[in-house]
Amino acid sequence: MGEPSPTETRQLADDARARVRFEEEALELADQVYQVARRLVGSREEAEDLMQDTYARAFRSWRSYQPGTNLRAWLLRILTNLNIDKARARQRRPQTEPLEEGDYFLYNRLAGSGGDQQPEEEERVLARLSQDGVVGALSELPHDFRDVVVLVDIGGFAYAEAAQILDIPVGTVMSRLHRGRRILKRQLAEEASDDPS
Amino acid sequence: MTLRDDPCDNCEEMLQPYLDRELTTIERAEAEAHLDTCEYCRRRYRFEVELRRFVRNAVVEPMAPELKQRLSSLRTPL
Repeated sequence: MGEPSPTETRQLADDARARVRFEEEALELADQVYQVARRLVGSREEAEDLMQDTYARAFRSWRSYQPGTNLRAWLLRILTNLNIDKARARQRRPQTEPLEEGDYFLYNRLAGSGGDQQPEEEERVLARLSQDGVVGALSELPHDFRDVVVLVDIGGFAYAEAAQILDIPVGTVMSRLHRGRRILKRQLAEEASDDPS
Repeated sequence: MTLRDDPCDNCEEMLQPYLDRELTTIERAEAEAHLDTCEYCRRRYRFEVELRRFVRNAVVEPMAPELKQRLSSLRTPL
């Protein structure tokens, strides 16, 4: 076994540099990836475990990332895959079909029946919702809907990107998003009416 | 059913794709023509914009600094 040739040495050095750059870029995105992870699962602990599994896998398979493409989406694709595996392993009770109402439902409920005689400012109506209510309602959304709502409405991904991350057709993203938001609004309306304040 | 019901139901259906900018030019013009004349729908559209912002902000939860350290420790040693 001889010494590596200068070309080989250069390749190794280039490789190491590319890997370090990849790892640094991935870590810079950790906060943003975490925001999505945190809402895909029920607890902080689960989100942290999922992040660690995701980053461990990402660092192992960094070569399959194509530089110049959306790294945040690439990381979230790993994360959602791992999460689906975990969700299957948990095999929770079959989910009942969630109820949904139209898109005006939440406003109508919060503003009350007389709302249009003396219309209120939207901000005042919105003030009847609480931060905890939103967190709770989101966590109650069935998986398939929550994944899409979280990626698009919280992660800020376009439909096509969410479709790639979840490996489902764009049309499915659109229909799940549409229904998911309506289910979410219905749950928010319920949470607001449960709240005595 | 009042006269108003139909166009408002239609406008309600267009709310999400309108805000997501997924309507065709014709559909968009249709929605806007109705919104120009209908305070009822306009109010609910404005509410939806505020709601989306509220939801986005409500769920922000900073990552624990220890987690960031744990992630860094997963890096390949040089």
